[in-house]
Amino acid sequence: MAERSAIDQLDDAVAAIIAQREVDLTSLDPDVASLAQVARELRGLPTEEFKTQLKTELTRRETMSTPKRKIDPIPKGYPTISAYMCFSDAPAAIEFYKKAFGAEEKMRFAEPSGKIGHAELKIGGAIIMLSDEYPDYGALSPQTLGGSPIKMHLWVEDVDAFARQAVAAGAKVVRPIEDQFYGDRSGQIADPFGYTWIISTRKEEISQAEMQKHIDAFAQQQPYTSSAQGEVPKQSSSTYMREGFHSVTPYMSVEKAPELIEFVKQAFGATEIFRTTGSAGGMHAEVRIGESMLMIGGGPGIKESPTAIHLYLPDVDTVYERALQAGATSLFAPADQEYGERSGAVQDPTGNRWYIATAFETTEWPRELRTVTLYFHPIGAPGLIEFLKNAFGAEEVMRHQSDEGYVYHAKVRIGDSIVEMGEARDPSQPMPTAIYLYVEDVDAMYERAIKAGGTSVLPPTDQPYGDRNAWINDPFGNVWYLATYLGTSK
Amino acid sequence: MDGARLGLSRDNEFEERLSIEAAQKDPGRFAELYENNFHRVYAYIARRVHDRSEAQDLTSHVFHQALANLGKFKWRGAPFVTWLFRIAANSIADQAKRKAREQGNTETPTTDNHAETELEVSERRAHLFRAVDKLPEDQRRVILLRFAAEKSVREIASELGRSEGAVKQLQFRGLENLRARLSDKFQLSNTNG
Repeated sequence: MAERSAIDQLDDAVAAIIAQREVDLTSLDPDVASLAQVARELRGLPTEEFKTQLKTELTRRETMSTPKRKIDPIPKGYPTISAYMCFSDAPAAIEFYKKAFGAEEKMRFAEPSGKIGHAELKIGGAIIMLSDEYPDYGALSPQTLGGSPIKMHLWVEDVDAFARQAVAAGAKVVRPIEDQFYGDRSGQIADPFGYTWIISTRKEEISQAEMQKHIDAFAQQQPYTSSAQGEVPKQSSSTYMREGFHSVTPYMSVEKAPELIEFVKQAFGATEIFRTTGSAGGMHAEVRIGESMLMIGGGPGIKESPTAIHLYLPDVDTVYERALQAGATSLFAPADQEYGERSGAVQDPTGNRWYIATAFETTEWPRELRTVTLYFHPIGAPGLIEFLKNAFGAEEVMRHQSDEGYVYHAKVRIGDSIVEMGEARDPSQPMPTAIYLYVEDVDAMYERAIKAGGTSVLPPTDQPYGDRNAWINDPFGNVWYLATYLGTSK
Repeated sequence: MDGARLGLSRDNEFEERLSIEAAQKDPGRFAELYENNFHRVYAYIARRVHDRSEAQDLTSHVFHQALANLGKFKWRGAPFVTWLFRIAANSIADQAKRKAREQGNTETPTTDNHAETELEVSERRAHLFRAVDKLPEDQRRVILLRFAAEKSVREIASELGRSEGAVKQLQFRGLENLRARLSDKFQLSNTNG
């Protein structure tokens, strides 16, 4: 009976414990009390259902997430970011990159026609993805779009060797390979498909502070120091110039404009930026060589104005050869000049003269010149200098002349650009030329130029292409197209 | 907290490390770690949280967290369960804070002043919970229905088709057995559960 009572006693205690009521263990039989103690610790015992259910939950979660965990969300061997490039002829582009950049083809999905829907190339440690054009999917090439706003940057072991290989494969030099203040040796090349590649080899570690110092010093020289060979290109921050232009742009007028455009492309690696042909067959084109712009106009019966250009490119001998291959005639073969450059000269098939030069590394002065610098050959250079000062606020930078006043060589700054000149000394000279000149206020400059002796051909007029233009002839036979950019929205 | 106090021998420790590594490589192997630690975690939580559904929610949370973060677990000599306890302690504290905010209650949650004692008590309780599974089947069912399902003797009697007296007797025998299993390993104490 004692046990029977102990069983009941314990059950009473258990009932109280489960109901979370206080139980006085001392009032119980000691054996019952120690069992009640165990019961107290058992309170909150988890149910089997809960334990099983949670296990199922965790296991289900595991099996569901298992396959996901096994797939690397960022596939091995791929950098986080890759360019996805579009080409008007993707198979040709792949061949080009293999030859020019030593690219390795990783993958290619092509239609039966050969049109590439997706391909991947490995260049060094990078992967580029590419396809042919699919206009329905917004895949359009730079050739269709008229350029690409994105340039590719490529680190290479030996930038000079790399550039040579690329040029041999058909790339064009846009900016020569040069040592840069930021410690890299680099330049820019354009592939035949409309993409520009900045290629660099790190030569020296330069601190950011040091770079900033250089940039600050560079900025202080603005607007007069040009973005000389290989330096950081100076963006025309002036709102009165069209993007990419400087104050002075030579305007070459020839009957066979397409022929000249082809020549500057082949010989000098020029990039055609713009071309339009009017209903009467007149043409206007704009090409870029290095950081410089060149305008080419033409058409049947146009008054030709052959121009002389001082052209700075990295490898004068190669450029000279290319120019001859492209149809130029030699004026003189490249030779080292005592004034600090190696230069040669050619005349292109349409009559323009190109003084091609590569400055010696130690030579400082060409750094203020751009790739393309206009070279006047007037009769009476001091008079032209005077006119430029009076008409356009030009500033004489240097003049090398004989005691009699015969100018061998002079440099004059107009706006942010420098033009050169040397007295006419050749039967084909004086070579009057045409110049497209961006000025801050075309109306004011027009008045000033007329006062300085210019002749009006066209008073300031708004043009549909966004510039306000005036046209004057100077007393030396040169034609000046004065312009202020108003913006395309106006 | 050393392994011996938690009843972990060197062999157990070795086994546990293998289980962890296996689960880190293949989350499907987490079940082993769960089985080995469920009662410990549950006991630890139930000691502080007296509401059953809350204790279940927290336990569930701890294991889900552990599974999600298993890759980050690094063996530093402490038993795996101490990592689970840390997750549990944080979860309890978070929950308490949340509740305090909801109820405008400024009472701070109880903290561990004697962490080692706490762990030991939890371990002892986990041992007790596990021991229930080893009881003879009819005792096990009664203990589970009574303490886990919190049913009355009458309800249990009708569910099992036994008399109330028989149920009370099975309860008595069950608790006797549990006391014996507990005293095999731990001294019976007056620790309040």
